[in-house]
Amino acid sequence: MFFNSLSFAIFLPIVFLLYWFVFNKNKTTQNAVLIVASYYFYSCWDWRFLFLLVFSTLLDYFSAIMMENSTTDKKRKIWLWLTIGINLGFLGVFKYYDFFVQSFADLLNGFGFQTNPVLLKLILPVGISFYTFHGLSYVIDIYYKRITAERNFIDYSLFVSYFPLLVAGPIERATHLLPQVKIKRHFNFEKAKEGVYQIIWGLVKKVVIADSCATYANAVFDNYESMNSLSLMLGAVYFAFQIYGDFSGYSDIALGTSKLFGIDLLKNFNYPYFSRDIAEFWRRWHISLSSWFRDYLYIPLGGSQGGMWMKVRNTFIIFLVSGFWHGANWTFIIWGLLNAIYFLPLLLRNKNRSNMGEIEMGWNFNSVKAILNILGTFVLTTVAWIFFRANSISEAIGYIQKMVTDFHFDSQYLSNERYNFELLLLVLVFVFVEWFNRSKVEPLSGKASWIKVTLAIMALLALGVYSDYKEFIYFQF
Amino acid sequence: MKQFLVFIGKIVLVLLLSAFALDFIYTTVFAQSEARNKVENVINSKPQDYDVIILGTSRANNHFVSELFEKEGLKTFNYGMSGAHLFETSLMLKLMIERNWEIKNIIVETDLNLSNEKRDDGTFGRFMPFLHKSETITNHFKKEADFTELYYVPFYRYIQFDEKVGFRAWYKTLLNEPTNTLANNGYYPLGHNPKANMKNNIEKLKPLRNRYFEEIKQICKANHINLIAVTTPMCSNVKGMEYFKKVKALYPEIKEYEHVVDGDEYFSSCGHLNDKGARLYTAKIIEDLFKK
Repeated sequence: MFFNSLSFAIFLPIVFLLYWFVFNKNKTTQNAVLIVASYYFYSCWDWRFLFLLVFSTLLDYFSAIMMENSTTDKKRKIWLWLTIGINLGFLGVFKYYDFFVQSFADLLNGFGFQTNPVLLKLILPVGISFYTFHGLSYVIDIYYKRITAERNFIDYSLFVSYFPLLVAGPIERATHLLPQVKIKRHFNFEKAKEGVYQIIWGLVKKVVIADSCATYANAVFDNYESMNSLSLMLGAVYFAFQIYGDFSGYSDIALGTSKLFGIDLLKNFNYPYFSRDIAEFWRRWHISLSSWFRDYLYIPLGGSQGGMWMKVRNTFIIFLVSGFWHGANWTFIIWGLLNAIYFLPLLLRNKNRSNMGEIEMGWNFNSVKAILNILGTFVLTTVAWIFFRANSISEAIGYIQKMVTDFHFDSQYLSNERYNFELLLLVLVFVFVEWFNRSKVEPLSGKASWIKVTLAIMALLALGVYSDYKEFIYFQF
Repeated sequence: MKQFLVFIGKIVLVLLLSAFALDFIYTTVFAQSEARNKVENVINSKPQDYDVIILGTSRANNHFVSELFEKEGLKTFNYGMSGAHLFETSLMLKLMIERNWEIKNIIVETDLNLSNEKRDDGTFGRFMPFLHKSETITNHFKKEADFTELYYVPFYRYIQFDEKVGFRAWYKTLLNEPTNTLANNGYYPLGHNPKANMKNNIEKLKPLRNRYFEEIKQICKANHINLIAVTTPMCSNVKGMEYFKKVKALYPEIKEYEHVVDGDEYFSSCGHLNDKGARLYTAKIIEDLFKK
């Protein structure tokens, strides 16, 4: 059941009505209805993986209590590593086993040894990377005594399986979400209205921007050998907007949906393509994952405490792991590596926190500099996205090589029966809308909101891509 | 909560009004056009007189050279449509009759398309703007599983088939931007394709006693149109050519022309002749069926 499907449009109002009108007695009944809804939501993909979700919930719930009850640090540590080991073990088997075995076999073949690797070819349970990290943050926080273990199983289950964030985040923290599910929620009109605006805007990003860009990006990437420089550049730009519209659109719908139930989720995007350097980009893109790696990997590794070498080493580790988190393919690892390389000059010059404030525009040199920096950062991220999108490293290199050496800039007719420039106007309009609303969560609220909502709905109807139904990209992770 | 329910009610109202408004705007624009594809060319047409009308799939569209018929003094138009099934072919004929076209001969490509009775979404979508305009279209689509929503939910049909009748098609229609679909009296010549896959496997195909071919036969009979049903050529490397024998057994009236063009140099792909091959094929058809 996707957020952009008819079934979700039926499911959401039913859950909303049950939640506020039938099971509104206390927080336990509210949580219970959300858990049932979440399990139903998850089972719509594949009911068999519900067992995995329930197992993961039970594991983290009991090991957190055991950890808290442990009398010695050694026992606490055993419980921590046992939980991390089992959680990552599941992730490893489902997501990475085939990759490691195949890569090892390829390596041996390279040395002349004939191998016949046994691959599992398992279906990846949807959202496994998200709820695994979700649970891990909880047990690690317990271990470091940042929070106390949750004894109420219903509350804890909701923390893990809450449907708006279950399949593609944001990766929540117990410190943020658990306190909200432990109290009865009261209906707040302003919050719910904000949620509806965010859902509508998220749908525009997904159905109008991302899915339109997808048809063009696919047509270019799938036929990159016959494309010229202009088409390849546009293909990369379209993919940059596809992935942004897709993932931030999903996050907006998730956050908006959650607001309807009176629960705030962590902000996941903050207009990342308006970043002035790559460090700022990573503070604005998939914020819940970046901050997860910062808090649970970078800082435990020593963070920036051990001098420059330590900082560089830890930065490369988190970018490589972040790349690998996205998928079992070398392309994601290279994507992570590229971002680490982009980050390096900022780190070496201690400039990685120089663009912390909001962008202020005026008729002055600083504004011109900011715009050029934004464009430069966008170009860098777009080049990195080529590796993210390509099926193999050689394909990505071939794509870039052709893009910079072909030197033909005439408009080409694509396999989607469109010209490669046709989408640019829509993308530009989208960029302007986001730019002038960058201080807000979404552009629909505020003055003339009904006109903006009407335009958004008309855009959804008239400009949305529906016939070629498209999943959210991040569901595969 | 009451305030919120009113708010949601207003959003739903905006959605409905927008859908009605867009439906009206799209339908009005598509109703004015007849130059962008063959479906609207027939639907928005005035009564016509033709000696020969060609119907079928791309294997009709790319194989029957209208110009060669015209040279023989036969007013001809090729209404073959790439991807179309007999479901849409039959509807096209019904629409021509509904618009009082006078047709002497109809050539229908009847070979691989006999194997299914389903709709082709790509072609089906092109009829959507006219769903309420023509009773013939409404009746033809009535048995489709999604007919109710397509017919009654405003703008749903444009959303469902946005690739064919979505925003892009709409604004190009509004700007009256022509396509090449109607050039060469509907015939679309294919060139030589050095990368073409010159083999095919049709072993799994099974010809049906196709209800839409039966419909075509009945319409022709009722309107005194000479129906010529023919097969069209395939390249040399095809597995399962016995299919054509089964076609013949099922429909003895279908004329066998699958072998009349020999040599892969006359093909653009295994199932499609290039222009040179199409001319040979058409010449043979004219020779056999219009000169004897």
